[in-house]
Amino acid sequence: MSGNVSPDQGFALQYDEPIERALTGIEKLLKARYTFSKRMIALLLLQEEAEIIKMAQLREASFPQIFAIIQNTRSKYKDPLRYVITLQRQEKANDILSQVISDSKKTTRLQSVLDRITIQPLTGIPILLVVLYYGLYKFVGQFGAGTLVDLIEGNLFEIYINPWVNQFVAKTIPWHALQTLLAFDYGIITLGLRYAVAIILPIVGTFFLAFSLLEDSGYLPRLALLVDRLFKKIGLNGRAVIPMTLGFGCDTMATLVSRTLETKRERVIATLLLALAIPCSAQLGVMIGLLSGRPLALATWAGFVILVFLLVGYLAAKIIPGEMPAFYMELPPLRLPRISNILEKTISRMQWYFLEIVPFFILASVLIWAGNITGIFDAIINGTAPLMQALGLPTEAAEVFLFGFFRRDYGAAGLYDLQKGGVLSGVQLVVASVTLTLFVPCIAQFAIMIKERGWKTALAIAGFIFPFAFLCGYILNLILSLLGVVL
Amino acid sequence: MKKTRGNKKNLFSKFLNKRETSQRLDTRRKKKLVLVGTPNVGKSVIFNILTGTYVTVSNYPGTTVEVTRGTGRFNQDAYEVIDTPGMYSLFPITEEEQVTRTLLLVEKPDIVLHVVDAKNLERMLPLTLQLLEAGMPVILTVNMMDEAERIGRSINLDKLSRLLGIPVVGTAAAVNRGIDQLKRMVAEYVRKRVA
Repeated sequence: MSGNVSPDQGFALQYDEPIERALTGIEKLLKARYTFSKRMIALLLLQEEAEIIKMAQLREASFPQIFAIIQNTRSKYKDPLRYVITLQRQEKANDILSQVISDSKKTTRLQSVLDRITIQPLTGIPILLVVLYYGLYKFVGQFGAGTLVDLIEGNLFEIYINPWVNQFVAKTIPWHALQTLLAFDYGIITLGLRYAVAIILPIVGTFFLAFSLLEDSGYLPRLALLVDRLFKKIGLNGRAVIPMTLGFGCDTMATLVSRTLETKRERVIATLLLALAIPCSAQLGVMIGLLSGRPLALATWAGFVILVFLLVGYLAAKIIPGEMPAFYMELPPLRLPRISNILEKTISRMQWYFLEIVPFFILASVLIWAGNITGIFDAIINGTAPLMQALGLPTEAAEVFLFGFFRRDYGAAGLYDLQKGGVLSGVQLVVASVTLTLFVPCIAQFAIMIKERGWKTALAIAGFIFPFAFLCGYILNLILSLLGVVL
Repeated sequence: MKKTRGNKKNLFSKFLNKRETSQRLDTRRKKKLVLVGTPNVGKSVIFNILTGTYVTVSNYPGTTVEVTRGTGRFNQDAYEVIDTPGMYSLFPITEEEQVTRTLLLVEKPDIVLHVVDAKNLERMLPLTLQLLEAGMPVILTVNMMDEAERIGRSINLDKLSRLLGIPVVGTAAAVNRGIDQLKRMVAEYVRKRVA
């Protein structure tokens, strides 16, 4: 029906001389009919696109000669032909567009300087450190998790709300079971709501603010580019940077995004790493808040988790081999973020997050309450005591991991509580934090893992992570206590 | 939201167009129009505007990637409109791109509507060039013109059309701008090719 115009007429883009010669050569040898022009088939063959190569092998009698041309041309360039051709085509596109587009707002000198120094490793890494120090450590860790939490939790809850609720409940409700559901150690109000409002909210709020600022300034893609070099060194595909960076926002979303990766193998590796070693914003915020009182402990935690990430990534990439294609990414310009946008983003994120966690926290409180009354809770805690001992942790820490099953940030909040009670030493704190970071993904993430990767892979990943997290905690504890480190 | 709007129109126009369809428009004469472009350039919005009568969503054989098909009627002609998964290049990397390229190879479209984001033309024009190199019957739809203008960008579409040697149309599909012109261009293009 549509064959009335041959695809072999009209537009031809001029490449450099060796490529043009190769194209002409291949085009002459092509005898079969394709929907695409012979020139495009020749171009795809020259770039050794797997499917077209297969097709030509079947349909072209003179495929050996064609392949000889490909090999001959390939040897003339330092870079892969796919890269060379893409680059020349892009140049042509830029040349055309320069004649038709006029942008009235030009980038300033300062902007182009900033653009450059944020991606060069020599200047980019110190800038990254400064961003991390002020944005995360100072603002989220010290201000959010320190000042704000002290204010809300230390003053509001500990002095006013909790005693008042406890008293009120004790006076008005005669049944002990119902009393403990609402108040005291594991009550909905005194534990569930307190975790949500007093610990999570200020930390996550400050984190979301910092994160929105970084996002809107266009810094995150630069960070991805910076990390890309490291990724390539350990044998991971550069494309994986995008879901990984997104993972710091939300691992669930990032797992969904991992479908943009090229092969099944890379998707599985990315899913594994996201579930294992990338803490999501909520968790990251709470962890930083938790550990910021002890900078050495924070550094040990971060260093160890990064080490695990690199090691598992490296091994996973080694175990399942494959090629690593080039990685191109669009870099948006650095922009001055608009305050109103930032605030809107932060508030809507906090709202969304808060609405999502409150039911979870209440549900967890109820379950823990039920477990407590029936004695199951204590049984589990006592049952896991040897495991906690192996990690060098007090028995109370088992609670935290139980919490962590519901949501990782809930567990982290529990850890926060323990630390405030002075139950944990620096080493114990780090061991518990590392284990909890690596520990099971949250329920939403697990659901997406099943949806995207299938039951088998998702279960296999979870089955690997669960013991592996504790093994890591065990090893870290062993190392730290052998060295006699005090954090 | 986009989908709902399309569906509402569906129900509404189904009755109006049904009889006309079976009598006057022979399916064998339907021209095939394929929408291609990277994700988030407004392909689906344009698809919904062009069709709005009958839509099928199906997995492309052997894959989990969705391809949407519908029928569009404008300027006294019927078109089979196909919305494809996002594609960055004719050298496929993801399964989505693979499906789109196979679709272009197998379906032999009468018109390939390459939808691009005016704000990111630099990144998207290479695919236009590739489609042209492949000998595809391309109409370039520069979408999101309103947003581009807002950031201070002006594009000489006539000159771009001359340089590329193909019809170029500027649209802002989300606010229905340029759609009539797009439809006219499609009709004109088909007429010229048949002649």
